[in-house]
Amino acid sequence: MTSISSRRLAKELMEIKNEGCPVGINLVQADDFSTWLFTIEVMGESLYQNEKFTLQFRFDQQYPISSPAVQFVVTEGRQAPVHPHVYSNGHICASILGNEWSPVLSVIAVCVTLQSMLASCKEKHRPVDNDRYVKHAPENPKKTRFHYDDDTV
Amino acid sequence: MKVEVKHWHAVAQWRWDTGVSSDDTNKGDDDEGDVCGICRVPYEGCCPACKVPGDDCPLIWGECSHVFHMHCLLKWIGTAASKQQCPMDRRPWVTAERKIGGSPISTGNVTGSNGPTTITADANPPRPPPPGS
Repeated sequence: MTSISSRRLAKELMEIKNEGCPVGINLVQADDFSTWLFTIEVMGESLYQNEKFTLQFRFDQQYPISSPAVQFVVTEGRQAPVHPHVYSNGHICASILGNEWSPVLSVIAVCVTLQSMLASCKEKHRPVDNDRYVKHAPENPKKTRFHYDDDTV
Repeated sequence: MKVEVKHWHAVAQWRWDTGVSSDDTNKGDDDEGDVCGICRVPYEGCCPACKVPGDDCPLIWGECSHVFHMHCLLKWIGTAASKQQCPMDRRPWVTAERKIGGSPISTGNVTGSNGPTTITADANPPRPPPPGS
């Protein structure tokens, strides 16, 4: 039986395959409707020139009513970008992934938002509570109740 | 000459009356404006939970002017995460009373009613014979 999420994801995937991803974003893996991988890089001048990151999406059956679990991949030599909203375990503190998720958003919309979050970064550093968070972080970033206190980056 | 019509074939197409004329929404191949933003299925299709489009899977209008499949919107509004906001503009969701073209709902009026609205009836009705024949 096809779930709500697989129908919607099938549409998104078809759109990606027909129209391609925005510049700097590439689909790496979408073999099923539970986990997708993208690479993401910032085009033009930024603090992340020549850096390429892997972004992982995990969907439950309620997507897009429920938000996807999105994080940077930090295995096999892949690193999370050093950014005030990105923890070293790959978890991302971004309101659209949490309390500002909307079902009209899409995978590509999330990629583009995170790409511009990196592009507008002025100073590369980890979140202040990085070590404390990473030590106790749940496996799934959706289980973290982030505090969105800074909308400038 | 006397023409006797023995057979005619009527073709009709329906579409929800979203307050946007079909000319505006059918420009080019891009039907982005015609889909429910939540499930991305055309308004005239049905939400992923339903099998048959039409009255059993209606649309819902917000006062903010945004339109969704009713079932999709209710699924979203039913979650705590929605904070009862419109998915498009995050304003508090208020379901709009439908007023189409200002015309009151009346039976027999195909352009303004709550249900699916007949926009085109592309039929080939019997025509009178051309003059002079």
